[in-house]
Amino acid sequence: MSGFTISRRTMLAGSAMLLASTAMPAPSWAQTPKKGGRLVLAADSEPRNLNPAIVASNGVFFISSKIVETLAEASFDGKDGLAPRLALSWEGAADGLSVTFKLRDGVKWHDGKPFTSADVAFSALQIWKPLQNLGRTVFKDLASVDTPDDLTAVFKFAKPTPFQLIRNALPALSSVVPKHIYEVGKIEDNPANNAPIGTGPFKFGEYKAGQYYRLTKNTDYWGKDEPYLDEIIYQVLPDRTSAASALEAEEIQLAAFSAVPLADLDRISKVPGLKVISKGYEGLTYQLVVEINHRRKELADVKVRQAIAHAIDKDFVVKTVFLGYAATATGPVPKNDPQFYTADVPTYAFDVAKANALLDEAGYKKGPDGKRFTLKLLPAPYFNETKQFGDYLRQALAAIGIDAQLVNNDSAAHIKAVYTDHAFDLAVGPPVFRGDPAISTTILVQSGIPDGVPFSNQGGYKNDALDALISKASETLDASARTDLYKEFQKEVATDLPLINVAEWSFISVARDTVGNIANNPRWAVSNWADTYLES
Amino acid sequence: MSPLRRFLRTPEAVAGAILLAALIAMALSASLLFPGDPQAITGPALLPPFQDWSLPLGTDRLGRDVLAELFHGARTSLAVGLAAAAAALVVGAVVGTLAGFAGGLVDEVLMRITDAFQTVPSFLLALAFVSVVGPSLGVVVIAIALGTWTGPARVARAEVLSIRERDYVAGARVIGMHPLAIAFREVLPNALPPVLAMSSVIVAAAILTEAALSFLGLGDPNRVTWGGMIAEGRAVLRTAPFLSIVPGIALVLTVLGVYLAGEGIVETTAVRRGLS
Repeated sequence: MSGFTISRRTMLAGSAMLLASTAMPAPSWAQTPKKGGRLVLAADSEPRNLNPAIVASNGVFFISSKIVETLAEASFDGKDGLAPRLALSWEGAADGLSVTFKLRDGVKWHDGKPFTSADVAFSALQIWKPLQNLGRTVFKDLASVDTPDDLTAVFKFAKPTPFQLIRNALPALSSVVPKHIYEVGKIEDNPANNAPIGTGPFKFGEYKAGQYYRLTKNTDYWGKDEPYLDEIIYQVLPDRTSAASALEAEEIQLAAFSAVPLADLDRISKVPGLKVISKGYEGLTYQLVVEINHRRKELADVKVRQAIAHAIDKDFVVKTVFLGYAATATGPVPKNDPQFYTADVPTYAFDVAKANALLDEAGYKKGPDGKRFTLKLLPAPYFNETKQFGDYLRQALAAIGIDAQLVNNDSAAHIKAVYTDHAFDLAVGPPVFRGDPAISTTILVQSGIPDGVPFSNQGGYKNDALDALISKASETLDASARTDLYKEFQKEVATDLPLINVAEWSFISVARDTVGNIANNPRWAVSNWADTYLES
Repeated sequence: MSPLRRFLRTPEAVAGAILLAALIAMALSASLLFPGDPQAITGPALLPPFQDWSLPLGTDRLGRDVLAELFHGARTSLAVGLAAAAAALVVGAVVGTLAGFAGGLVDEVLMRITDAFQTVPSFLLALAFVSVVGPSLGVVVIAIALGTWTGPARVARAEVLSIRERDYVAGARVIGMHPLAIAFREVLPNALPPVLAMSSVIVAAAILTEAALSFLGLGDPNRVTWGGMIAEGRAVLRTAPFLSIVPGIALVLTVLGVYLAGEGIVETTAVRRGLS
């Protein structure tokens, strides 16, 4: 009806578009991303420390990866699954004692100072190795970083360190921050932790607690014509149900990290103008894990652990808790990992009778009330799904005569209870697989980890064979021999069950049709978004 | 006219009494009608109501029977409501009686403590208490009582202040009764009716507070609670609204029933006292 009405505004817009199109070289309407526009998206948490070099977590990356860049980013088709960012190339020495990075030329920090190898050396030695949650393990043998010129950084290791590990760690662990900002005062207290300064396509604008984060375009960005967007607004919507309505009302254009509840996806996929995308999280696989406190005498018995594994209907969990947006797990490496995964491990089919038999065999007979023993179960509160799985696990355990008492805590109290006080028998945790088992996976079962390290083995589990395997793999330089060791590691974990891997899941994005270049790398939600654009 | 007949003449009171009776019947029959664990998974997930007559109100996100949860939830609501109100009334009456009867410094101290509690919003107090101590049924009861005992305390003190000047109190003093015995045997029973009149409001408020705490994830996770059911249903509000609406209606009817029945009792007793 209004198709042919021409108002002054549409005329103006039309002529502006014409001008824009003639100004742009070789316009091709279908493919060329449009410049300009403000992307508004939902944020469900408000990290206080936005420095990704210190806090390598997805909540922080979600915002700060647009501001602070890493040496390399994950890629669907790049060599070894990587695409260059601040580094153009990386090469490991045969003896595993050094890695050489060639850096990008002409990169400037947001305050105008040039980016050099000194910044990389500073970030690696002063932040990644001593302060970063994940870097502490990966870069533990980093002795020095040589900077023969402004565009070369040579990492020197005290002990042979597998190049495969360093390579796999680049996308998440190598955020480079400016030396000239951080060399004064204590790094942890630097104001740039709350208002980061980086080299990325967007600059930090402002943060209003409880309302929004605003990022603005970096006009001096090294990428040609990038970034396309003028502004990114992270609208704080802590209530998960509000993200879906905000999308429908066109208040926001994107909700990443499953901000729209899974149960709503079916409905929202039918709303015109909205698309549901499950790609773009391949490099951020979360694992649903039952953490076990081996200090409990019942749980120290492998038969009891096997019984629990048999009592869990993984297909039900995937179908009901994750509504199909997940996969069942076989062991500590997710099925979608291209390098390390092996299916050749013992599996535990859903079999209540067998679980009951195993418990009888272990000597824990059912009492007159049908109960064998009582356990304290602490589901992690971070995701709806971990809480729901906690509810399910309680029922699954009741079916085999184990009385599980749920204890709900907030995030801080949960971390303290499980990882510092060890006040749990079973816990439900969502550890992240980060492309290499040595980054954040082996730590879940390795012994000798000090109390209080979150997402590590705090269940008092000790298996000398497994420890030996982990330490051997950490010194093995040959990539294929190292991969084989990690396959053996998966087998050993699935056999002895220091923890029980139940499912693997990633996230879902819901966006308006106008948002372009979504999900074009395996860590898209936490990548720099230089090429994201908005169609008008 | 007998108080019962007067009560039955008030339609609101009758409606309240019926609702309350239904609630109590639900709470008492929960284990008979739905034996076993109400949180057991009994059917397909997210079954809408009135589809399968073995699961008349449908199932939640894990496939648990909503009707069974509703019945067992009535139990928790009622238990918490009554226990919290009883605790608040007992503490309030004792504190109020002591303050009013003793006077002087004791009165000052007790009333300033009451003031201190009254200045903190009772829900915030409950929230803070539960998040520090950790959620379980007993803790929730204490948390709610913590914020509600001040009202009864003030009312009891006001009553006691007028009663302690009566002749029979002076008489008790003359025959050498211990002051505490006078306070609790002679004064408190006579000061109670106006305090008890507050009970319906307190029970209703306690049920609501418990639901709110559970809604925020601070209820006992090993028990079914209506607030917890509403919170769980919220994630699927657009696709399965019945999961929030069903326990929501139950909650509204319960609070309404308790309140109306309580008001009815107060009205009838007030009329009786007025006549006598």
